[in-house]
Amino acid sequence: MSQPVTPRRTTRSSAGSASDPASSTPQSKSRPKSTLRRQLIPAAAAAAKEEEEEEEGENDQSTVNVLLEALPGRRAQALDLLRLLAPAPALPLLLYGGAATGKTRALLLALRHIHPRPHRVAYAALRSLPSPRALFASLLSQLSPPSSSSASSRQRVPDKPSDFVAALRDALASLCTQGDAVYLVFDNLEVVRSWDKGTQLIALILRLHDLLRLPQVVLVYVSSATPDAYYSMTGSIEPNHIYFPDYTVDEVRDILMRGHPNPKLYSSFLSVALKPLFRVTRRVDELGAALEPLFRRYCEPLGDSKVVPDESIKRRLFEHIQSHLAVALNETFSVPTRASVDQCNDTGGKASTKRQFGNRDSLTELEFHMSVSAKYLLLSAFLASRNPATLDAALFDSTGGSDNHKRKRKSSQASMNMKDTMVEEMLMKGPGTFPLERLLAIFQCITSVSEDSLDDVESSANMMNGSGMTGLMSDVLLQLSTLCNSNFISKSRSCPLEGSARYRSNIDEDLALKVSTL
Amino acid sequence: MAAASVASQAQAVLRARLCDPGFVHSALRSSPDTNYSKLKYLVASSISEACNNSVLLLGPRGCGKAAVADMVLEDLKKEHSDAISVIRLNGMLHSDDNCATKEIARQLCLEHQLSFSKMASSDDNTEFIIDMLRECGLAHKTILFILEEFDLFAQGKQRLLYSLLDAMQSLTSQAVVIGLSCRLDADQLLEKRVRSRFSHRKLLFVPSSLDDIQRLVEHLLIMAKGSSLPAKYITDYNSRLTNIFSDKKFKGILNSLMDADATTSNILRFLFRAVSYMDMESGFLSMESFLNALSVMQRQPKMDSLQDLSILELYILVCMHRLEDKEQSSYNFTSIMKEYRSIQDAYKTSDKYASTVCFRAFEHLLDRELISFGDIRGRNQALEYRPVKLLISSRELAQSLKLNTTCPAVLQKLFDRERYM
Repeated sequence: MSQPVTPRRTTRSSAGSASDPASSTPQSKSRPKSTLRRQLIPAAAAAAKEEEEEEEGENDQSTVNVLLEALPGRRAQALDLLRLLAPAPALPLLLYGGAATGKTRALLLALRHIHPRPHRVAYAALRSLPSPRALFASLLSQLSPPSSSSASSRQRVPDKPSDFVAALRDALASLCTQGDAVYLVFDNLEVVRSWDKGTQLIALILRLHDLLRLPQVVLVYVSSATPDAYYSMTGSIEPNHIYFPDYTVDEVRDILMRGHPNPKLYSSFLSVALKPLFRVTRRVDELGAALEPLFRRYCEPLGDSKVVPDESIKRRLFEHIQSHLAVALNETFSVPTRASVDQCNDTGGKASTKRQFGNRDSLTELEFHMSVSAKYLLLSAFLASRNPATLDAALFDSTGGSDNHKRKRKSSQASMNMKDTMVEEMLMKGPGTFPLERLLAIFQCITSVSEDSLDDVESSANMMNGSGMTGLMSDVLLQLSTLCNSNFISKSRSCPLEGSARYRSNIDEDLALKVSTL
Repeated sequence: MAAASVASQAQAVLRARLCDPGFVHSALRSSPDTNYSKLKYLVASSISEACNNSVLLLGPRGCGKAAVADMVLEDLKKEHSDAISVIRLNGMLHSDDNCATKEIARQLCLEHQLSFSKMASSDDNTEFIIDMLRECGLAHKTILFILEEFDLFAQGKQRLLYSLLDAMQSLTSQAVVIGLSCRLDADQLLEKRVRSRFSHRKLLFVPSSLDDIQRLVEHLLIMAKGSSLPAKYITDYNSRLTNIFSDKKFKGILNSLMDADATTSNILRFLFRAVSYMDMESGFLSMESFLNALSVMQRQPKMDSLQDLSILELYILVCMHRLEDKEQSSYNFTSIMKEYRSIQDAYKTSDKYASTVCFRAFEHLLDRELISFGDIRGRNQALEYRPVKLLISSRELAQSLKLNTTCPAVLQKLFDRERYM
């Protein structure tokens, strides 16, 4: 069977190589998507030459079945594609749907199975092209005949749309003389809107059918934005739409189950884990990434991953996975650090009972290491951002705390309302900026306080400790630049009056609390 | 086997027809007093009388302006093959004056078998154009300028239009300028000096009425005898088709199509889809194919997107809706989170998730364009603090909550409750 054997969803790479036995690509997850597409597109044209002699009739049915097999849950869309794409001439086509719904994959697979085969497929991956000029160059290079590739590279790439349309018409006219169809595919059309002069370029791309007036050229657009994003003020000829809805729970289960070496075990796992995760996100790629480590945890109590589970085993595994599932629901992705991996290997069950996974209020420790001075700097940045500068005197006076001998006034209703509005304003505005001097002042204040308290606690005058504390003040600017590079503090526009740099802290309260637990 | 090949042949013939604008509008040739006949009369008379003329064809997109202009040109080329030359410009590509003069010069060279140098400057090109106009005028050749997207030429300084129309007035030239535009006020966009040189002839293209559309559909789908397909198939096919056309349901389909968009291009899209859905075993069009095509064309993309959301994303939308109902003029992700946590504390549902997970769902909603940022990206602010707004109406949200089968009841209650507060 040419099914992928790795226990993950059929990514584009694995599916492409599954249905193309001629390719000998290894099943590696790191294969980038662009090479797959480049491999699919010439394969589409090459397959055209090979299978031209095969007869119609039974082949139609089998090719449709092959296509439906490769695209689970996409029966209606696949049939639509096959019927609307071929034979040429055809009106332009727009495929739209959410992310990770299989639009590009379905299109490229369908282009290999339509009958009659396309003579050439030119694919413009708009997400990876930086400018209109690059788009023109990419399309023209794909359409020019391969024999004159050296000559065309010396030709100037057109800058203006008019030159591009003229060059495109020439290239296509030379290709279409035999009467075979040429397909132009524009993928990720929505990114063109954010380009410079993007609206004009979109209008041009969508009207290429009328501008070229070549009946053998079929234009296909793939977009993750809905068609109403492309309506312009002066109207436009609309292409035919095909909508790709998101997968349902059952379809996701089918996709994830494909080619798994132990389907019974995996299906019992999915029946436990899939539905809760599905409430959070419906995208197949995110679900696959979240389910993989969970499945490893699920199989931990089993010594042998090939075993077929019965009811008692299933119940045991379910109890084991329950706590981990609750944690996984609250994470977007987890990078397994070395410490956690070692812990898994050594302690096994003990660590899980010790830690309260179900208790979400417990503060876990910081997952990465920060030096003490960096932690102090980060906290002072957090304080500087969250409190207005006017409070500094009250907070950081020489007694090291709030002034106790000022009597607290009873807060009236008006002041409470004002406090509410201030809190709302804080929510809306976000963290404020502060100059470097203020940051250093607060930092000095905090570290001097901590030095005093530590000296009180430590009875034995440990000289190493003392020198370690005074070392906090050195290299502050170095620490600051490190924190800026890791995006904990960001540099904002410098004040126009003074010209000094202003910074802003990017961390939220949870992280600040974690940092503060030394 | 044979039926399959006949069906695919028939489908290919029909599809080729639908994609060929010449065929689509060819019925206009026979009917009297249409824009086609008026335009043809205008251009033919200006050719025979050796005078200059200009005309604007105006109408919404997809009404057949370019097709009619092409048909007129085709006919005239057949009648006076060497007395006319055609220059085509498009406002989308050639709105820049230098570009336009270069293109005109290039096409003139092509027509008259002269060699065109790409290095020629814009002044050289303009001089060349004026010389060619004069020469053609003396030789009694008419030059036809077709300016598509005419309103885009009228942006900026309108130098091209002015020089063209001025040359037509001052030289011994024979030229006809045909402008096509989808803006009905395209002539109001012209400057005073350009407008004075422009003859105020306008031909208005309107979307067709139901009868016209019915006739167009019959013209496109009924197959004439004598084509390559077997005669029996053609008679069967035609009789089935006429049965469908006389059915009231079909008129209902056409009416609902025309309610949205009555232009020819919309009908062509619909027919193309219906023909693609043709049943390949029998090779006949049925009411099924027309109904399927109609339902596909009448999708509502935002409602479809709303059905694709996960439960957490729906929670976020309902929270945003509640904030809007509480008349908070602007809110951002942190305020939404505050509302979300207050809901979770009040109702103790099982759907309480961490802030990072909620932010990922928030970003998904941004990708789907169901919500968007309320400010232009000027300030260097983190995404959590930028104001957002809903891009769907409350009616759409209410409907999607009802249609969603996996939606928890508490969400529906939260949405409804604010109505009564």
